[in-house]
Amino acid sequence: MFAAFVIAAKDLRQRFRDRSALVLGFVAPVAVAALMSFAFSGVESFHADIALVDNDRGQIAVALRGALTGPELSDVLTVRDAADDAEARRMVDAGDAGAGLIIPAGFSAAAVGDKPIGLRVLGNPDEPLQAQVARAVADAYVAQLNADRLSVTTALAAGFPESRAAELAAAVANLQLPESVQAQPTGYRQLRTASYYAPAMGIMFVLFAIGFTARDYFTEQRTGTLERIGAAPVTRGVVLLGKSLAAFVYSVVSLGTLAIVSSLAFDAEWGPPAAALALILAFSAVLVALTALVVAIARTERQADGLATIVTFVLLLLGGNFVLLSQAPEMLRRLALLTPNGWALRGFTDLATGAGATSAIVPVLVILGMAALLGTIAAVVGQRRPA
Amino acid sequence: MRAALAVAGVSLRRILRDRTALFFIVVLPVVIITVIGTVVQNPGGFRIGVLASQISGPPLATSLVDELKSVGPLHTLADESTARTALRRGEIDAVVLVPAGLDADLLGGQDVRIPVLAGGAESTQSAVRSAVAAAVARHAERVQAAAFAARTTGTTTAEQLPRATAVQRVTPRIGISTENVATGSDYLPLGFSYSAPTMLVLFVFINALAGGASIIQTRQLGIYSRAQAAPIRVRSLVLGETLCYLTFAVLQSILIVGVGALLFGVSWGNSLAAVALIGTWALVGTGAGMLSGALFKTPDQASAIGPVIGIAFAMLGGCMWPLEIVPDAVQTLGHATPHAWAIDAWITVLSRDGGLADIATDLAVLAAFATAMLGLASIVHQRRLTS
Repeated sequence: MFAAFVIAAKDLRQRFRDRSALVLGFVAPVAVAALMSFAFSGVESFHADIALVDNDRGQIAVALRGALTGPELSDVLTVRDAADDAEARRMVDAGDAGAGLIIPAGFSAAAVGDKPIGLRVLGNPDEPLQAQVARAVADAYVAQLNADRLSVTTALAAGFPESRAAELAAAVANLQLPESVQAQPTGYRQLRTASYYAPAMGIMFVLFAIGFTARDYFTEQRTGTLERIGAAPVTRGVVLLGKSLAAFVYSVVSLGTLAIVSSLAFDAEWGPPAAALALILAFSAVLVALTALVVAIARTERQADGLATIVTFVLLLLGGNFVLLSQAPEMLRRLALLTPNGWALRGFTDLATGAGATSAIVPVLVILGMAALLGTIAAVVGQRRPA
Repeated sequence: MRAALAVAGVSLRRILRDRTALFFIVVLPVVIITVIGTVVQNPGGFRIGVLASQISGPPLATSLVDELKSVGPLHTLADESTARTALRRGEIDAVVLVPAGLDADLLGGQDVRIPVLAGGAESTQSAVRSAVAAAVARHAERVQAAAFAARTTGTTTAEQLPRATAVQRVTPRIGISTENVATGSDYLPLGFSYSAPTMLVLFVFINALAGGASIIQTRQLGIYSRAQAAPIRVRSLVLGETLCYLTFAVLQSILIVGVGALLFGVSWGNSLAAVALIGTWALVGTGAGMLSGALFKTPDQASAIGPVIGIAFAMLGGCMWPLEIVPDAVQTLGHATPHAWAIDAWITVLSRDGGLADIATDLAVLAAFATAMLGLASIVHQRRLTS
């Protein structure tokens, strides 16, 4: 057992002396996570800038403007006045406004007549949500006008005498739409880009270690180091245990460092430390199993390198390390759950959004199960192979 | 020249015979283009979750759910806790909880508040809520009209609802029209037209950088030194390697362009501009590969650090996300990489129907990058081979 620690310590020393390994294990994940959280810092919240053109200046137009600039909408949209249609178009095209809203001349007068005039939204396909929100707030406002118009017409159709239509017009003025929305708190944190991509990038870079470790093993085999260790009273199992331990520690230290640095430096949310650590430990275990499998299947350094690369990239692509899985179609989210990194990311996402430490239990168990399965396959394949 | 061609041929054969390299050159780009192209689609509004029990509820509840389709794609979820979890993970933007007694309350003349849980940052939540509020208000129009007609004629809302619905169909509404006023986009088109050009830029560069490993190996094995025993000039050796990388980069480009066009129906825009851009980028890739072969000391360094540099440049240069969304400082920093200029040019060609003249500046900058890298690389190579 002691020999295993000696071997692990030697492998780790070797690893930490190698500048490429240090770059991949520590510098690159922190740098990439920093870059991503910086790049996305501006897009995590939504705000609409709407160029408003009032060609009408009637009573309803003024009221509409009042509704748009009211306190309820102040954090979602800002109204910028534009002199005419052409200026609003220019503002939207140049990106000075996300969308435009034009109140046409005669709008207020026509709103109560038989031939209402519609509002016009100017949109930019680069900013589809801006136009959608401009349209929605205008729509919510005209819905009351439309409902009032419809109420009068329906009452007349229902048999209310046409001669007393003026009474109806007065009565609808005080009506309120019978359905409205009520905001309910969700009780959790929103998922921030940094909280998703910090673990995603950390996992990506430790997966690259599969190749390193497997290659080192075959290098030692080729150069005779393993054979010479065999001369000592150390079994092959102990050698493998030592090497696995080194890979495990490397992964835990790399992910742990990233967790601490990214939480402190760019507010990535890793959740309760114990739960995050459990996920890191479980993932490091599966990493060892994957490495063992690559070593068991490959025969040469080159084969190990190639196999490790392919395994790594297939896992990264399926598991969602490159794309924000929550935006992906459901099929991709299901595929991600075939991979250990997909489960780890789900666990980290849950912790980051405040789901509570217990939410990590299922991902940890699934990942450990995968580690056990892969480890068993590696052992069976390794046993069958002639030494 | 014949010697240079022979060197190019041998080197190219060596790269293409490596099965791991083929994975990076052929399989990985295609898979990544598929995954990213599938994820980066226009969601067409906010993703709204409703509960399965609400879809086949009483008529007013069902018609409200139908109205919500105008907000964005509807997602049906089994129950409230599943819906809350999906919202927390960011898989949907809002959950609308249509009350079970909606029909009874509305027909009984009561006002109904419809709970909405919105996800994302606070301002995003307000935007989602206003979009849902507009749909709810539209739904309330005929309910208000039916209730009003019932009150004025001494009947019930339930009796008047079919009339209000019929009248609504023929009554002109104050409408809202949306008009696109943008003259050109600052983003690449979505879907595969986004993923194919960005991954073309990314992979030609990364694979060239990683390919530098084979030059280093050749140098370490002493093949160049031995070749110089023959009447071959150093210049021919360097030229040969350059030709090898150029051919390699062009082959990689043709593969991605072909797969994009044939498999994913990507239109590559003005063919003259596209060919010039692909050719210039192949030269940039060649420069990067030669420089990697000149500056790295071991093949391991080139194949480990090369991809990290390639990914970092791709992130800074707008291959992983549009530069339009990042802060100005990051945009400026990004233009220190050739990637940003290539992506700018692709945006001009693909989103603004740009021709050769429109991307002349980008091409000139790219050509300068290529010249600088090739020049530096050949100086270092010649020095290493003659010393």
